[in-house]
Order: sequence, then structure tokens, then C-alpha cells
Amino acid sequence: MPKERKIIPAVFTLAVFIILEIASLRMVSSNGSLQRIWLARQAHFFQAKVWGGAQSVLQYFSLGKQNKALAEENHKLLLALGEKGAAKRDARADSLAGMLVRSDDFRYIPATIVKLSRNRQHNYLIIDKGSEDGVHLQDGIVTPSGIVGIVDAVEKHYSYAISFMNPEISISARLGTEGAVGPLSWDGKSRRGAVLKEIPLQFKFQPGDTVFTSGYSAIFPPDIPLGTTGEARIVNGATNEISVNLFQDFSTLKYAVVVENIGREEITSLEITAYGEEKQ
Amino acid sequence: MNRNFILVYILLLAAQMLLSDFVRVSPYVTLSILPVMVLCIPLRNSPVTAMLIAFATGLAVDFFSDGVLGLNALALVPVAALRNPVIRLVAGNEIIEKKDNLSVPKIGLAKFSTAILMVQAVFLAIYILADGAGTRSLAFNGIRFSISWIAGYLLSLLVVGFLAPDDR
Repeated sequence: MPKERKIIPAVFTLAVFIILEIASLRMVSSNGSLQRIWLARQAHFFQAKVWGGAQSVLQYFSLGKQNKALAEENHKLLLALGEKGAAKRDARADSLAGMLVRSDDFRYIPATIVKLSRNRQHNYLIIDKGSEDGVHLQDGIVTPSGIVGIVDAVEKHYSYAISFMNPEISISARLGTEGAVGPLSWDGKSRRGAVLKEIPLQFKFQPGDTVFTSGYSAIFPPDIPLGTTGEARIVNGATNEISVNLFQDFSTLKYAVVVENIGREEITSLEITAYGEEKQ
Repeated sequence: MNRNFILVYILLLAAQMLLSDFVRVSPYVTLSILPVMVLCIPLRNSPVTAMLIAFATGLAVDFFSDGVLGLNALALVPVAALRNPVIRLVAGNEIIEKKDNLSVPKIGLAKFSTAILMVQAVFLAIYILADGAGTRSLAFNGIRFSISWIAGYLLSLLVVGFLAPDDR
């Protein structure tokens, strides 16, 4: 017998069976009170199962929609979190600026370091403040623990700076608050090592003495503590070269303050004028 | 269906009504010859016809006895639906294809007994479950099923000679 000719009688038999059973169940339900309650309970149980199953299927097919909604919510939360984080970072950077020994000749801009290289010979850093925030070329970047770098390129919202851990940078430093002044530069080896050069031999010092910024440069304000003196060696029989253990730990650096000398342009133009007159 | 079968069927139906109304051995015993009556409906009748007969038989018993209307019909229609598969399983496909009448000499007492026990089990399982309506314990239902199953089988063996005579 062909397959279709077998299926049709089977479906018809099944339909008759279902109709007869439903008729029997209805009769049982309407004639027996116990059976009515029992059947109602079974029907509810069955409905709950079917409904639960249908709900699961519907939920499965609406997962894409739910995922989209969750992604949108996630995005909103991330934005909110980002705003909060930015506010927190600004607050921390502000508090850092407040910890600095202030000088009226300088303007202070709190900043967050967004990128910092530490393992190269020529290290650099990028901060989240740019020209729109008032950052200019040759501004200094400091923390209460020392010098971080000098701004070398400025964009609208970010600035690129040469790190102190770079042989190109040399800053003017003083031994103690009233001692000799000499150039301080990175030793090129460790993250907290620097060398203070050209200290005349007649100036006495003890290992552990503090080294400060001198204030002689137009970039950094005076009296920022930089580190403590270590071993010294005489160079060419004329000057001392002193190793300095820096306070600033570049491994944990996250926030900094941009310092801008308000009178720098005036000083610079004065220097240029004086230098020109000297030449003439 | 030949006239003899119809007559015997109606007589046995009346006997079942009397059995349901007047013979109450124990709440643990449900005596019924209805499954074997449905099993012995001549095989030339289609499953649909067998189901309709079973439904009418069940209703008649329910109507004329003081049970819940529809209970016997509810349990007997599945017996009719499963009749052909049970016979096929027990006696093979040949008897169904030939549309022979079912009888003990044709398939043997053992196979016939197996078929009776199977349809009795289907009938009693549904009947006891629906009759108890969730108020009886599993133990009670189990005991009722076991006793009724054996009693029903023995009773069925008594009437099977009338329902399925050897027509060779």
C-alpha cells in the first residue's frame, strides 16, 4: 500500500480515538465530582507545562532582542561609569595639584597619564590634557614627588611629553634648599636613579641629603623635592657627580600636574634680546 | 459481524451490567469482561468501528450501572485502539491480514492469555486511575489492579469460549 494511503486511515483512527476519549472525559468530569476536581487539576498541570514550554520557546526566540537591549543598557552603564571615573580622576589629579608647593609664577593643570613608556632608553608619556585645557609646549609635568617630564607636542585634548627617564632631559637641581646647583639627569639604568652633575667640590653634602628643583629653569617651579643623594665621585678633579635616588616611582605613576610658567615668554624674549645685544 | 457474535456480545454486556451492579466482592476488586469482549470483536471490523463499539459498550455499562458515566468508555476505547497492535504482537501479522476471527485453538491458550492480560492491564490501569481520581494511595491502586487483573483474566477465560468459538 502506498505510504499516503496508510497515513490517512491512521490519522482518521487517531482523530476518532481522541474525539471518543475527550467525550468520555467530559462525561466523567460532569458526572463525578471527584473526577471533575482531579481532571481540572491535571488540566491545569498540563496547561502550566505547555505554557511554560511555550514561554521558554518564545524567550529563546526573543534572546536576540534581549541581547540588544542588554548591550544598549551596558553601553549606557559604561558611559555613566566613564563619567564617574573621569570625575574621580579629575578629583585625584586636583588633590595632587593641591599637594604641590605652589608658586604664584606658575599655573597648575591637573592631568591623568594615559600612556607611559618605562622600558625604553627614550621614554615618553601622554597626558589627557591638551591645548584646549591650556597646555603649551615646554610646559613641565610634575608630581609632589618630583619631575615627570616636559611637554613636547600638544594636540587639542592630549599632550605628548618627554619623560624624565630620557637622556634628552636635564633639569636644574639644587642640593638642599640653599646648596649648589647643577644639572640632574636620568642615569639611564634604573627607574629611580639619577645623576646630579657639576657640583663644585667645595660644597659639602651628606648622603641622604634632599635634592630640590632650583627654579632657575623657566619650566619647573623651585623647591620640588626630587630625591636624596647617594654616592659621589669626583670628575676631572673639579666637580662632584652625585647619584640621586629619586622620590618619584615611575612604575606607579598615574596622575600628574602640568606646570606652566606664566612669565616664560617674557623671560625667553628677554634672554633672546640680551643674547642679541651681547652678540652685537 | 455474524448474528451469533452480536447476540453473544449483547448477552455478555448484560452480564457485565449485572456484575457491576450486584457483584461487589471488595473495593479491591473490579470485575470486568469488557476488555476481552472488545478483544474478540471480529478482525474484519476496522479499528474505528472497534473503538465506536467499545465506546458504546462502555457507555451502556456506565448508564445501566451506578458508576460514573463515561468511566468504562474512557478505559475501553484505548483497549479497542490497541487491539490490533496487541494481536500483532502476540499472534503475528497474518491473522490480522487474513481478518480471521480470534480464537484459542487458532493462536493457542498461552498467546490468547497474554493478549487478555495485556488488554485487561490497559483497561484496569485507566479505570482504576480515573475511578480513584487521585484520592487513593498508590498501594491501594496497586493492590486493586493486581487482584482485578487476575480476577478479570480468569473471568475472561470463562467467557472467551462463547465470544471466540473455533470456527475452523
